[in-house]
Amino acid sequence: MPLATYQTSVPVVVDDAKCIADKGCTVCVDVCPLDVLRISDMTGKAFMAYDECWYCMPCEADCPTGAVTVNIPYLLR
Amino acid sequence: MSSPFESYDDLDDADERLGAADPAERRVAIIALGHSGDPAAVAHLAKMVADPDAGVRQQVAMALGEFDGPSAAGALVQLLVDPERIVASAAADSLAEFKDPESADAILPLVKHAHAFVRMGALRALKELRRKDTLKPALEALQDPDAAVRVQAIGVIGFLKLEESIPALTALIGDPDAHVRRAAVSALAFSHMKIAAETITRALKDTDWMVREMAAETLGLNVNGAVAADPLIACLADEFWQVRLKAIRSLGRMKVAHAVRPIGHCITHEQANLRKEAAAALGEIAAPDGEPFLVLVADDLDPDVRKNARWALHQIAASTARAGS
Repeated sequence: MPLATYQTSVPVVVDDAKCIADKGCTVCVDVCPLDVLRISDMTGKAFMAYDECWYCMPCEADCPTGAVTVNIPYLLR
Repeated sequence: MSSPFESYDDLDDADERLGAADPAERRVAIIALGHSGDPAAVAHLAKMVADPDAGVRQQVAMALGEFDGPSAAGALVQLLVDPERIVASAAADSLAEFKDPESADAILPLVKHAHAFVRMGALRALKELRRKDTLKPALEALQDPDAAVRVQAIGVIGFLKLEESIPALTALIGDPDAHVRRAAVSALAFSHMKIAAETITRALKDTDWMVREMAAETLGLNVNGAVAADPLIACLADEFWQVRLKAIRSLGRMKVAHAVRPIGHCITHEQANLRKEAAAALGEIAAPDGEPFLVLVADDLDPDVRKNARWALHQIAASTARAGS
């Protein structure tokens, strides 16, 4: 899978201000069927490590703080 | 994959985190307790229903949804009356997942709560518990001034499937709210009483198309629905194709032989869903006079229509062969 180089251009965007991964939450990482989300060693927040997404949405739906947004491409909506 | 949740050795470990000053840490501990699946976690979660942070209380409501039974229901009813809507909504969603009839004892008092949202949430939760003593409060709730509460009360009655509730349900056909009328029509599906089928048939002429659509569908499921064959055929001229579609489905399910021609005339409609349903219904009826209509869509642009048409033609051929042998 291609590495996600620029976080702003990937489908799954995490709002660092809302993310509580640094407190021990791993919900989005656990529910992702493609295992593309990671917790950053530097910020302690979740991010999309690999630019691959099925747009299945549990990461957004299950995030306890509403920090995850999945940007679905227009043609898939 | 390693998970920080796995670092919780036991419930006491998570319980310790529930006292953290940071609300985010408390939330994570609550998620861990919910994921544990251990019924002993309910007592720990119940202690958090009065947390000062609304997000934490919302998380407690969601975590309690992983469990079932009177203890979890007791904690959730406290959250259902929470002044914060996000908390109350999460509690209502979690309670709706409960299946243990014992949970009803904690929920029943809220059916008479001052706030409509709470009454609605309580009735929604009682629906799948299917306890006979919930019938009386549900019947009383049919007089509720809030239409959404009346809809949930119909749900409770519909799930109980008791013939004694039929008079109350048939009376709702005159309710001013279309959602209530639609729910009442749907709840009458199970009844063996003739008055139920007659009431559903009357609903085919409702002013709201969604009520008519539900009536057309429900008649196909009701044991006495066949008495409404002609009113259903009349529905094939309804201004809404959605109503026609359900009428066609019901006529096919009932195998109404004299409906072949009216159904056949719908088979060239611009809506592919309607063509598909018409082809399927003609196959269900399997009368030879349906064949000329099916030939019209044998090469339809929609593959589902073609598939149903071929299946229907096969059904007619098989039926004709059986009759000849």
